[in-house]
Amino acid sequence: MDVVLNINRFNPEVDREPYFQKYMVAVKGHQTLLDAMLRAWRQDPGLSFRRSCRSAICGSCAVCINGVPGLACQTLIRNVAGDSGRITLEPLPRFRQVKDLVVDLEPFFESLKAVVPWLVTREDYSGNMDPEASRKLESPVTCILCGVCDAAMDVPGKVKPAALVKGLRMALDPRDSLGAARLRLMEVPPEVLKLFIRDLPDTCPKGIKG
Amino acid sequence: MLIHEVLVVGGGLAGLMAALSASEKAGVAVLSKIYPTRSHSGAAQGGFNSVMGEGDSIEAHIFDTVKGSDYLGDQDAIEVLCSEGPEVILELERMGVPWTRDSAGGIAQRPLGGASFPRACFAADFSGHVVLHTLYERALQRGIKIYPERSLVDLLVEDGQVAGALVYDLARAKLEVIRSKVVILATGGYGRAFAKTTNAHSSTGDGMAIAYRAGATLSDMEFVQFHPTTLYGANLLVSEAARGEGGYLRNAGGERFMAGYAPQKMELAPRDLVARAIFQEIKEGRGIDGQYVHLDLTHLGETLVAERLPQVKDLAIRYAGVNPAKEPVPVEPAQHYSMGGIRTDIWGVSSLSGLMAAGESANVSVHGANRLGGNSLLETVVFGRRAGRKAAELAGHLSWPVLSGETIACSRESWESIFAGKEQGAGDDDVFRIRQEATGIMTRQVGVFRVGSELEDAVKRLAGLKERYKRCTPRAAKQPFNYDLMDYLELGYLLDLCQVIAGGALRRTESRGAHYRLDYPQRDDRRWLCHTFARRGEAGPEFSDGPLQITRYTPQERGY
Repeated sequence: MDVVLNINRFNPEVDREPYFQKYMVAVKGHQTLLDAMLRAWRQDPGLSFRRSCRSAICGSCAVCINGVPGLACQTLIRNVAGDSGRITLEPLPRFRQVKDLVVDLEPFFESLKAVVPWLVTREDYSGNMDPEASRKLESPVTCILCGVCDAAMDVPGKVKPAALVKGLRMALDPRDSLGAARLRLMEVPPEVLKLFIRDLPDTCPKGIKG
Repeated sequence: MLIHEVLVVGGGLAGLMAALSASEKAGVAVLSKIYPTRSHSGAAQGGFNSVMGEGDSIEAHIFDTVKGSDYLGDQDAIEVLCSEGPEVILELERMGVPWTRDSAGGIAQRPLGGASFPRACFAADFSGHVVLHTLYERALQRGIKIYPERSLVDLLVEDGQVAGALVYDLARAKLEVIRSKVVILATGGYGRAFAKTTNAHSSTGDGMAIAYRAGATLSDMEFVQFHPTTLYGANLLVSEAARGEGGYLRNAGGERFMAGYAPQKMELAPRDLVARAIFQEIKEGRGIDGQYVHLDLTHLGETLVAERLPQVKDLAIRYAGVNPAKEPVPVEPAQHYSMGGIRTDIWGVSSLSGLMAAGESANVSVHGANRLGGNSLLETVVFGRRAGRKAAELAGHLSWPVLSGETIACSRESWESIFAGKEQGAGDDDVFRIRQEATGIMTRQVGVFRVGSELEDAVKRLAGLKERYKRCTPRAAKQPFNYDLMDYLELGYLLDLCQVIAGGALRRTESRGAHYRLDYPQRDDRRWLCHTFARRGEAGPEFSDGPLQITRYTPQERGY
């Protein structure tokens, strides 16, 4: 089928402001949006977007698809092309556009530092972990730091969504000496946290449950 | 000019591990052409082989690895790999890796191919991902300087000594010089040299090719691993853990055909054997639609699939429309891993002074002619750690190598015109088309089954493609995040490596591990019990025999 990718373009060296450009590409319904974008790139080598793994584990190809942030490589054409066959692609909202679909990731990776994003290993950790406790880590450790939650969710306060996931993951870890104290350190009001945990699975490309 | 005592290129498992261990004693920076957490190490699913408990032994791990390598692994390096494994796994445990646990709370282990014991430590089927993120967290804690989205372009060599690197900054669209005492390349594999590969778009062998161009020795490049089970069509990895957890391979008749190829190990035979078996089934008309075979997990039950193989389940549902707990998954072999790489000693030191390597980009050599599942992740952390230690030690002894303005200018000028970019020129050949032709040649003619005449033809055609490449230029004008320029550079790396792979495959007139010659179906220990060394010559790669380290195990026939 032919689909039209309507892509938000911006080159800071020549453009005053972003504009949209259409690319008509032939793809199959079961192919991914990333496949379609690669075809558009072939037509226009100057088009910029990040990509790497193709299998939703690296987080590079996070973009805004028809107004909703997501990963291009795990989005199937048939699920977003609709009847019109038209797909609008924009850079992630709440991030600064630096070139076409590429956004500035420095503030995002910097934002992780708000939560002490590493395990503060307990001196007395025995080397054994209760399997039940370890099961609680399984969902949050699948975070790929793609930035989709930061783009999609409004969480008031200094700790941004992906950082919050990281902080919660550390707080759940029985090896961590800060443990539950992390919740206080992150200064996230309980009602905000509750809403965040409720909404995260629907937003997160990995379906992380808080 | 930026200055760091130790410059690590690559932010995957080997690179981050090297940086962490070097940072204890030296100034370190990590350069990565993407963000470290996006490295392809994260796509590894199955686990890290390591002897952790009763019933298993280091000895057994060593022997399995030697046998798996079809006796082409260096046994001194394999001893290091297996002996240091347990210590590194426990170090990762203390760093915060969320290993899957056994019922007693210890680190759970699963069987992978070619192993005599269930010895792969894992975290569901996200094993590479969780360790990558844990190492990244520790790099943040350590305050290690990271330069993301900078691509290594050239090694700056002065009087045979690597003195720094020329790098391209994607965001700023400009070249930069980094001065260093030691450069560690941890840039991963070249999977993108093949049309069918599990590898990420970023796996283009940059470090191997740049080291080769700078005069370092590459080794055993003809040994290319084809993973038996990749999703049919999309070639996304379906972890060996699926078979480790009990999955079956079936042909069109529903038979577990591995019985005819590896009656004892069955689906958990080493990858070279399983990949050949699948192609043989397809060739003899027992493939499904003549194209693929089935990976059957339906007897494992929904709970096990959901708990132990959640990523495999998700990938199969999303990209193949198949729920593996209920229906068999269509799979086919595809390029997955490079056994060969930059030749190093057991500390990661290459043949070029000041240059080190670790991980998939290196050839130390622990995998020989065929890698066992679970050994590459272990290699990244064991040899990454060793390379980092050695680099810090070297940096402590060495005074700053001379790096003249002339050397910098010479390198810079040769790249500057390319990086300046230009408008699309009429008559320019197409980088995309050349890449498509090259990767097609590699998959069709330098794949699982090889034959002299096809390899000769491939070598000739690759040389022709390289000539065409020389007349190409990047098409996009100078701009930030110029992926067209990256594509152009990466094709150059891939073509250099394709020549070494195909040339080495043509030269090695025997079958060993993943290198299978239809015209020479036997292993020939009298002639070929040696590494293949390759160095860049004027007219292409120059090959020679390299010595093999055999300490304990003399070659025997390899049956499973």
